[in-house]
Amino acid sequence: MSAVTVTRSTGSIGDAESSEATWRPSRGLEPQAIAIETEHLSRTIVDRVLVSDITVQVQPGEVLAVVGPSGAGKSSFLRLLNRLDEPTGGTVRLKGQDYRELAPRELRRRVGMVMQMAYLFPGTVAANIAFGPWQCGEGLAAEQIDALLQRVGLPGYQERDVSNLSGGEAQRVSVARTLANVPEALLLDEPTSALDDVSARGIEDLVLTINRERRMTCVIVTHNTAQAHRIADRTMILQAGKLVAIGPTKEVLRDR
Amino acid sequence: MIAELLNTLHSNIVMGMAQAAGAITLCAAVVLLCRRFAVHVERETAISLGRGLVQMVFVGMVLAVLLHGNLLVGVLILLGMTFAAAVTASRRARDIKDSLLLSFYAIAAGSGVVIAAMLATGTLTADIAVLVPVGSMIIANAMNACAQSIERFRADVAAHVGQIEAGLALGADPDATVAPYVQSAVYASLLPRLDMLKSLGLVWIPGVMAGMMVSGASPVYAGIYQFIIVAMILAASGIAGLVVTLLMRMRAFSPASQLTLRPGERQQGPDRLAKRMPSPA
Repeated sequence: MSAVTVTRSTGSIGDAESSEATWRPSRGLEPQAIAIETEHLSRTIVDRVLVSDITVQVQPGEVLAVVGPSGAGKSSFLRLLNRLDEPTGGTVRLKGQDYRELAPRELRRRVGMVMQMAYLFPGTVAANIAFGPWQCGEGLAAEQIDALLQRVGLPGYQERDVSNLSGGEAQRVSVARTLANVPEALLLDEPTSALDDVSARGIEDLVLTINRERRMTCVIVTHNTAQAHRIADRTMILQAGKLVAIGPTKEVLRDR
Repeated sequence: MIAELLNTLHSNIVMGMAQAAGAITLCAAVVLLCRRFAVHVERETAISLGRGLVQMVFVGMVLAVLLHGNLLVGVLILLGMTFAAAVTASRRARDIKDSLLLSFYAIAAGSGVVIAAMLATGTLTADIAVLVPVGSMIIANAMNACAQSIERFRADVAAHVGQIEAGLALGADPDATVAPYVQSAVYASLLPRLDMLKSLGLVWIPGVMAGMMVSGASPVYAGIYQFIIVAMILAASGIAGLVVTLLMRMRAFSPASQLTLRPGERQQGPDRLAKRMPSPA
């Protein structure tokens, strides 16, 4: 269990047995890892094909890396999973349900996304972390924020102004901010591309820990094949918006 | 009526042209002064002075005819001015769907509410000779406010696409993600008019007051009336800025809460927007 176990509905804190901090959603249930499926997913703007006819299944608790050259459609593919962009063809299914049947805001809380840049809102770290729950009418107790910050390795950062954070710290706050919504799956769009090696490895470790702890389904876009080797169960390769290979990371990236 | 108009024009035209010649001479002297410092604005100034004189003489002649019309003519003139103002303001938002309509709604709302209030309180008489000049001032300021709000909102959204989409990705209400930019856009539309009010009488004595004093009105009443006009301009600008910003906010997101107002992207296709997502409970 955890050093600090926080129940989201009450904000109460209980003693825990290990050094890891976790928290529970108001339903009283741990979020279940979900399967994400895309069916002939496509997006075209005017006559430019960004994503072309991609059909993949991501298993619950799996880490899938999306690799490919610049302009291959990696980020476009990830944005479609979070419905930040609208598919022009095909769809996405979460646990078998067409995601267009879900309210976009609910979908985005269930499928959290960490972007390439942290894009923190002006103010304190605590305010940033509380933003997501606050937007759906839920408060976040100081203890819950503390637990999340411990989880991402930034204890005591609650009142820090985000303008004083390093790139790596900002990205960790960004991850904590996404986790505050208790997502069932996590999408990461090159979360380490703007970081130095040490910070990048720290984020990788964090993603792996979260994935193992909560069996959270993760889809990570990366241009770094070594990173894919380190963290991904499977890897898919995109080129010009098309899926050219998918399979166990070692096999897919063997010759790359 | 036409004969009377021609007589009036004839009696004033010689004096007016002489005064215009004096103004042009002074401008020419300034141009020559600029030339000494290698600032060459001779051609541009000549063209601008010529165009300005011809346009104002033409407008004066048109108004001389129209101002003898009835109130309906006055309302139609104001509507025409509102449309022309909307065309001008919407040029800053060409890539936004229905930008002309948005600008027209905003300017019509701002100036319409204020002109109606002035008529209702007797500040403005339902006389075409008063209604059109005062109405045009209010419409012109509502147009500027509208254009300033459009420009600021677009610039702020374009500069903060990442933060807005980070908010959306967290399941935020789209309105909440652009709330700071709505505030700054409305503020931008009000700021010049607030400065105008602050400097009223200290830095400048506006035309309405000057005109009233020249025509023999009490300077105190002229001052109070000018204050009312500037206050009404502030109100019209605030309404126009607020309305156009809120309408732009509606156009900034698709029905699936996706940001569609992005730099360099013209609104079209499946991302085009119609209605908003409900607010959080």
